[in-house]
Amino acid sequence: MAFDTFMFILMSGILLGGLYALMATGLAVVWTTLGVFNFAHGTFVMLGAYIAWQVTQSVAGGFGFMIAVVLSILVMFCLGFVLHFALIKPFERNQNVVLLAVISTLAAASIIENSVLLGWGPRDKQIAPPIGSKIDFFGASINTFDFVILGVALLTLFALAVFLRRTTMGRTLRAAAQNREAAELMGLNVPKLFAITLGISAATAALAGIFVGSLRFISPTFGADPLMKSLIVVILGGVARFTSPIYAAFVVGIAESFSAYFLGLYWSPALLFAMMIAVLLIKPEGLFGHRSKTL
Amino acid sequence: MKYAPPFQRTNGFLPVLLVFAVLLLLPVVVTETYARHTLILVFVYAVLASNWDLSLGYGGIVNFAHLGFFAIGLYGYAIFAKVIGVDPWLALLVTPVFAVAFAVLLAIPILRLEGIYVILVTIAATQLLLQIVVSQSTYTGGTSGMVLLPRLTIGDYKLSSDNRLGYYYLALALLTASTFFLYKIERSATGRAMKALRDNKYYAISRGVSEARTRLWTLGLSAIFPAFAGGFYGAYLRVASPDVFGLGFLTITLSVLLLGGIATIWGPLIAAIVVVGLSQLLADYGAWRNIVIALVIIGVVVVYPGGLFAALQEIWSGFDRAKTNLIAAYRRKTGAAARARAMGTSDQLLETRHGKVSVCDTHSGAQAIIFIHGNSSCKEVFRHQFDALRDQYRLVAFDLPGHGVSPNADPEKDYNVAAYAQIVRDLVDRLKLGNPIIFGWSLGGYVALEYAAAGNPISGLVMCGTSPIRTYPDDMPKGYIPSPHMELAGKRFHSPYEKGQYATHTIGMQKHSEPVLWQAVWRTDGQAREQAFAKLKTTDWQRQMSVIQGGKIPFAMINGPKDPFINHTYCARPEFGTDYAQTPILINGAGHAPFVEDPDAFTKAFLKLIEAF
Repeated sequence: MAFDTFMFILMSGILLGGLYALMATGLAVVWTTLGVFNFAHGTFVMLGAYIAWQVTQSVAGGFGFMIAVVLSILVMFCLGFVLHFALIKPFERNQNVVLLAVISTLAAASIIENSVLLGWGPRDKQIAPPIGSKIDFFGASINTFDFVILGVALLTLFALAVFLRRTTMGRTLRAAAQNREAAELMGLNVPKLFAITLGISAATAALAGIFVGSLRFISPTFGADPLMKSLIVVILGGVARFTSPIYAAFVVGIAESFSAYFLGLYWSPALLFAMMIAVLLIKPEGLFGHRSKTL
Repeated sequence: MKYAPPFQRTNGFLPVLLVFAVLLLLPVVVTETYARHTLILVFVYAVLASNWDLSLGYGGIVNFAHLGFFAIGLYGYAIFAKVIGVDPWLALLVTPVFAVAFAVLLAIPILRLEGIYVILVTIAATQLLLQIVVSQSTYTGGTSGMVLLPRLTIGDYKLSSDNRLGYYYLALALLTASTFFLYKIERSATGRAMKALRDNKYYAISRGVSEARTRLWTLGLSAIFPAFAGGFYGAYLRVASPDVFGLGFLTITLSVLLLGGIATIWGPLIAAIVVVGLSQLLADYGAWRNIVIALVIIGVVVVYPGGLFAALQEIWSGFDRAKTNLIAAYRRKTGAAARARAMGTSDQLLETRHGKVSVCDTHSGAQAIIFIHGNSSCKEVFRHQFDALRDQYRLVAFDLPGHGVSPNADPEKDYNVAAYAQIVRDLVDRLKLGNPIIFGWSLGGYVALEYAAAGNPISGLVMCGTSPIRTYPDDMPKGYIPSPHMELAGKRFHSPYEKGQYATHTIGMQKHSEPVLWQAVWRTDGQAREQAFAKLKTTDWQRQMSVIQGGKIPFAMINGPKDPFINHTYCARPEFGTDYAQTPILINGAGHAPFVEDPDAFTKAFLKLIEAF
């Protein structure tokens, strides 16, 4: 294999890793804080992309890419905030909360997917990437925008980490995640904090969706793939630390792009699922973590 | 102690027979192809969801593997019947083998995992299956699936002829077989082991239930019928497509399961009709259909997490309460003369703080005796004592709320030992009974103790068919002999057979010799049974024990040696003995209700006791 091909595969794997990190972190934050898996996460990714696409269209005023990103993130944050009260809060005291949240978020995913289908139709759409140029990277010709995506994704995750560790708001979120009862006794409004968590998760999902939407085509059903990939990443990495799923995202991204090259497009997801099962068997707490869930 | 009467003796028998008969005859009325198609889909989803429930609801293994089992059935049928070319019936029959093999493989990671990780590993495994199906397009048709699968025929008769009549009955047969299978499993030793592991894993393991083996059985057994359903689905629609791996199919099936209510065999059947019916009804509305279904799902899990089966039981319970209340109202009027003859005095309704109760009072005599009857009985059990003692004492007996001819009351507030004791207090005040002697039978024994423990006026307490409890629930297995009929004492819905069993075993009488008591079991509000039993844990048992051991209130026990419930050795412990009776006085030859079974001997012993008080 030529070096430039290798570099190309590696770079596309790293790019995928960055996107997966953005998606999976949102899922992991909800899992560690609310204690449920959000099966509507994939549709958050998809809906975020659609909102951004709509904003850039001339019907909606033909705003620029940046405005589309900001609007989409804001809308998705609000949606996530509201959905917490509809999907998870009603049974947070129920002993079957994990199962009930699975069904309620699956139902929400169905609603979002079909609403998008009603609103925007089944045809594929693409968000026009703001930067079209390519640069030469160790012999491989790579889109400049790919580097921007990677940089923004990592920067966003870094900002989220700083927010969670350094700001009062972030600390209260972590407090609610670590010990709900104690947080409530200290006077924190835990339902609101949980809703904010779901909002943040939806906002990061939207950002990931916009990036995916400017690289590939978007359709109402494309949420399933990000959901599955995020699940794989979260399982593979574990949720012991904020960074665990991020490392795992790059492992998954690189493994995917190399296996797609060597094994073919159909076998690469099979390999990832096999990896996930193997990790669950050997190290259920994830490759990068201890057996506990904290932020 | 297990309580497992044969199916024909349970409450479900008649409704199930009725539904089955309706489904059997339905094709006569429903001849239209599309309606039959909907019903066939209902049966398929019901089979899939109810078998999923075996592992998810009964086994407590929350997993998503059953779509995989279904898909294996579907593709197994497709590959065997079309690619390999074996007989379609044979192809249908072999598919479960592969599903069970897959289930056994899946059991390995599942044994090591808990909670959400089981969900995730089963999702991953089904997705892995999907990827294999998609990648092997020469055998499976890849993403576009397989069409024109061989159809099922009997001789030359196509099952799809006569507007799919054959497929309808095959699907119904599948549902019947699956339901029978689940019913048998649930009540087998394996089924009880599954539920025990779900409810209290470590206790079950310590009692010798093997976790690994039971989980393996749970998954393996629950894989059989989903595979059949998948194979049938393929033979019926003649299409095998990877859509069965998708989130849409998962959402529908899971909603059938959850809407029906988990850990119920019948729930998914009801929900399948609702969900599939709704989905077929809205078939023309495209995306709106899925949105409406999803909204219904969210609505049900938010408002009624127990599901439709629980809702149905609530409705039934309401109906049952209205019925028992009507019976009581009817008997209050029509049976008054007969009751007055039996008791020697007519009864009247008296207001207490826990609703109205029907009271019999002989009015004359200086010392009052109050008789309190037991669970699912009535005041007329004491008629022999009314007959024998009326000249010496003032006798009072009453029907507890929800029993006899007293009306039903609020299940939450009024059906418990403390409330019953407060009713006694209200009667003492209203009828000016002074310091009464109280006789309590069975549950009434605890009511009498509670009345005394609460510091109410009393000059003596006699208990019959009741074991004193020091700590709850530890003393329950010591004080009582475990028997299937104990289960009936706290059961809300009794089938006619169970009512008969309960009447026979508490009173030891046959229907014709004690018609009033026999009727009393029929009349009793099921909620009263359930609540009084469930709320035993809220009783202050220490306080009751101090009544027995404090020595301030004269206390004695009279029991029948043949009583099938109480542990006589336990009751004869010195700590429960008093100056009046070191050990319980035994009425030879009698069982749980000596005052009915041998009234003369009982009354003599009782009289001797209370004269000493």
